[in-house]
Amino acid sequence: MDWEKYSRQILFRGIGKAGQERLLQSRVLIIGCGALGAAQAEMLARAGVGFLRLVDRDFVEESNLQRQIMFEERDAAERLPKAIACARRVARINADVRAEAVVADVNYKNIEQLIADVDVVLDGTDNFETRYLINDACVKHGKPWIYGAAVGSYGLTMTIRPGVTPCLRCVFEKIPPPASSPTCDTAGILLPVILTVASIQVTEALKLLTGCIEKLHGGLIQVDVWEASFHRVSLQKGRASAKCPACQHRRFEFLEASVRQSALTLCGRNAVHISSLGDVSLDLREIAERLKLLGEVTLKEFLLVFRVNGYELNLFPDGHCIVKGTEDMALARSLYARYIGI
Amino acid sequence: MSVTVRIPQPLRRFTENRDMIELSARTVGELLEQLGRQYPGITERLCEPDGQLRRFVNIYVDGEDIRFLSGLATELEDGMEVSIIPAIAGGNEHAPSL
Repeated sequence: MDWEKYSRQILFRGIGKAGQERLLQSRVLIIGCGALGAAQAEMLARAGVGFLRLVDRDFVEESNLQRQIMFEERDAAERLPKAIACARRVARINADVRAEAVVADVNYKNIEQLIADVDVVLDGTDNFETRYLINDACVKHGKPWIYGAAVGSYGLTMTIRPGVTPCLRCVFEKIPPPASSPTCDTAGILLPVILTVASIQVTEALKLLTGCIEKLHGGLIQVDVWEASFHRVSLQKGRASAKCPACQHRRFEFLEASVRQSALTLCGRNAVHISSLGDVSLDLREIAERLKLLGEVTLKEFLLVFRVNGYELNLFPDGHCIVKGTEDMALARSLYARYIGI
Repeated sequence: MSVTVRIPQPLRRFTENRDMIELSARTVGELLEQLGRQYPGITERLCEPDGQLRRFVNIYVDGEDIRFLSGLATELEDGMEVSIIPAIAGGNEHAPSL
């Protein structure tokens, strides 16, 4: 092992040689490789965390580059899936780290398998439905996970240790309905707040992985980089909510049938995401041949782009698809049925 | 009782962009009423039509969640700090503006 690579981190008292050895043996899952997730992956790769599983369903676009630090213009030109682009960059940053890219939608079917063999789960998602699913799976299996979110110049983060701290549903009992919270599509986003939230999340992950449990911040942290404010409220004191369905009653509504993710969701402006219908592995080349007769087809390394009548279908090998040019779910479904037909 | 209320960025468009507001109230419920009178529109973001706190919004008095104190009846003392923390999703999740 080339310890020189990590010498400055080993000099830091909180880590030391023993901590670095533990990091190299550690396994982390990053769910969502957008702004937060990419920043987390970059920091964990440089820190020498031995294994990173990077999951994302989306591809890189030009409007991502302002804040998603792992990606470059050529990734956007290639429409590279974010998970793949992230894993390739991790490989270039640090050969000690094994990065596994998973180009898929995280859902109730795959979440338990994704978290099964990792030590910590980091939240890089952009929606509460997925976060409550992560919370259910992590509480069920006693896996620590770190919530983080940012919008505008404002960010929030907390570290959840099932059985020790309150869980996400203890703190936020219900999913905010659409229209009740701002998003980056409506309020914009500054890169510095992403990096601040990701930095706190990664520091917490390093403490968990090296066993420095007593140094965890134990609260809900609010930051606002524009106002230069940093504020923490304590969540210690065994304050799990007695009503919490997840950590108190062990009812995992998001993992079970009671609150099921819909197959279709709006994603960003003027786009609908269609989940994969099952365990499929598509031959994109073959589909491209067929669609060429009907519209404009571009075949990328991991993606088929099909343009027809002002709509754009972005089809991934596992069958999930992002339909651009509409927010009408029924229309997106019918375009998918008509042209992809699976 | 004079207390300071911290307004998170997503709600500042209701408060003329102010991040700290001084108000005088005996309880958290009274504080929210006053806040709503002074800054129209903010109450609907924080409370259900029946006046209860929305379940994705938390209020902390000197760092303590009011759900573990006396809820909206939690009494305030001079110099206390009240923080409002709504859940935020971030990213590209589709939703019209707040």
